[in-house]
Amino acid sequence: MGEHASYERLVFKNASVYHYMKIDLILESEDKRLNAAHFKQLIISALRDLYGEIGAAFPFDVLKFEEDTLTAVLRVYNSGLVKLWSALTLLGSYHSEPCAVRVTQVSPFLLALSGNSRELELD
Amino acid sequence: MVRFKSRYLLCELCVSDQSSLQLLDDRAVFTGVRGAVCRAHGDYGAALCSVSFAVKYLNADTGVVFLRCRKSHYRILWSALPFITHLENRGQKVPCAFNCLYVGGTIRTCQKFLIRYNIQQLHRMLPHCHNEAERLEVRRAVLNCSLKSLEKEEEEDE
Repeated sequence: MGEHASYERLVFKNASVYHYMKIDLILESEDKRLNAAHFKQLIISALRDLYGEIGAAFPFDVLKFEEDTLTAVLRVYNSGLVKLWSALTLLGSYHSEPCAVRVTQVSPFLLALSGNSRELELD
Repeated sequence: MVRFKSRYLLCELCVSDQSSLQLLDDRAVFTGVRGAVCRAHGDYGAALCSVSFAVKYLNADTGVVFLRCRKSHYRILWSALPFITHLENRGQKVPCAFNCLYVGGTIRTCQKFLIRYNIQQLHRMLPHCHNEAERLEVRRAVLNCSLKSLEKEEEEDE
């Protein structure tokens, strides 16, 4: 108690306009390759299935997509977060092959995605 | 008491050929509108909108349609209406457009508006009559369909 903590706590009160999501795409067969454009197309088609032409017309970005691990970082406005998330949850197939999306991390700050507290190894 | 609150959309079907309205029925309008909602708002919108969605009234002569929807989600239905370009009935395509005239909370307010709107339309169209005979013809037609004659008929029936 007596010791002063060596870290400084920063509190950022005004929330960011964006939310960042780190997601994993899980395909049944390993051999299928897809690039960032295909990946975004897949998400857009999932959105269109669930929310239609009007409901799916909100902007989101694929900031990073790693082809070998099929992980991506998405950026979306706060207003579209729930829609995007629900569409990702209900995404069930890619080219008539079962697939799923795991949402690993969601944060209003991109920096928070650099580390995952669940993967921390404490001694 | 609590009741389910609805919105009634009073729409006008705009067609190029007035006689093609006779081809339509409630079911054609119902499936057409539901398809448009599904296309514009997806499964989510269609599911929200299909709760208590109904075509309450369709006048095949004037092309007036009453659509009912839950109050909380009527905007979904409302925004999908402009995307309807044709309705289909028994394989026949009827090109038409929905013109939403009024959004009301009860059928009664919609009816009141419709009467006011029709009177307004009549006043707008009457100056286009070329001669006195046409005017008299319109006057006779209007008087013909008044409630009084209906009441008289009912009395006679009794």
